[in-house]
Amino acid sequence: MYNLELERVISEIKRRKPKQVLLQLPDGLKQKAGMIADTIEEKTDAQVFILFGSCYGACDLPLGLDVLKIDLMIQWGHNRFYKEEW
Amino acid sequence: MVELFFVDAKFEGKIVVSERLKKFLQEKKPQTIALFAAVQFSALDDFIFALETLKIKVLTTKAKRTARPLQILGCDCYSDSFQEDIIDKCDMIVYVGDGLFHPKALLLAQIGKKKNKMKEKVKPVVLFDPLSDSVKEINYKDIEKQLLKAKANVKKYMHAERVGILVTIKPGQQYLHSAKKLKEQLAAEGKKGYIFIDNTFDLGALENYPFIQCWVNTACPRIGTDDIVNINKPMINILEAFDPIKALENFG
Repeated sequence: MYNLELERVISEIKRRKPKQVLLQLPDGLKQKAGMIADTIEEKTDAQVFILFGSCYGACDLPLGLDVLKIDLMIQWGHNRFYKEEW
Repeated sequence: MVELFFVDAKFEGKIVVSERLKKFLQEKKPQTIALFAAVQFSALDDFIFALETLKIKVLTTKAKRTARPLQILGCDCYSDSFQEDIIDKCDMIVYVGDGLFHPKALLLAQIGKKKNKMKEKVKPVVLFDPLSDSVKEINYKDIEKQLLKAKANVKKYMHAERVGILVTIKPGQQYLHSAKKLKEQLAAEGKKGYIFIDNTFDLGALENYPFIQCWVNTACPRIGTDDIVNINKPMINILEAFDPIKALENFG
């Protein structure tokens, strides 16, 4: 129903060569997480992790990823946003 | 440094002006539509063409925080959230997508405009969901409860002497500098501000700090507009906290 663009994702991972990738999906797409992880691990050398918690938008990125040595985070269902200063 | 990559997850079906929507439009007879969409449904060239074929002028704009025209985010809920005020110029607002979180922002964004102080001036938003081919309208009634509470909360904030300021560590919503600025402003008014930091706020945990008389949210502004109806302690957003008198004027 929604285009997960897995070919583009695989191609991007092959280009960037991350060792560890974190997937972040909104609730409506979380059921696809297993399939996406399987596909990425099958077609690339990256190890894949899935963020358990929320994904309310591009503003909702987790911290601490450096500690876990995550090289690339992929978020579905949103695009780049511009933070407004108050 | 973690790299970041976004995938829109676009809806794969064709978004058309369905017979149901066409009938709705023929009944309501809008001449000008302000069109918005969730990112999944924002490929609307054919949809716009079909509306224009029905002799309807379609207005689009870019919300300040989004990357592309048409798209709306939940935080685009202020009257100055858009590059162009197409809501003012249209006689119908149409949102393409599912759910209520994003289209409710289009109602909230009308609050505070001088001419929209009267609730009857807030234009309803027509929700068209291409998945279920449903057409429904949301209006002022759908935000009335939260607006009344928001207004009451601003009044309580003005009388509070000990204020808790919530700051998230999520980079996209982190406004520690604004929290510090508010703390200084409160100190100048003889009040005390306490800054609380967390990742995601469990609003049930607010009760653990009974000495706080009012909370100020600096994270997602929809916490201070929507979630407030589910908590007992008053909470307002940082923008309202900086200028509560203006906030009260905006609420009308």
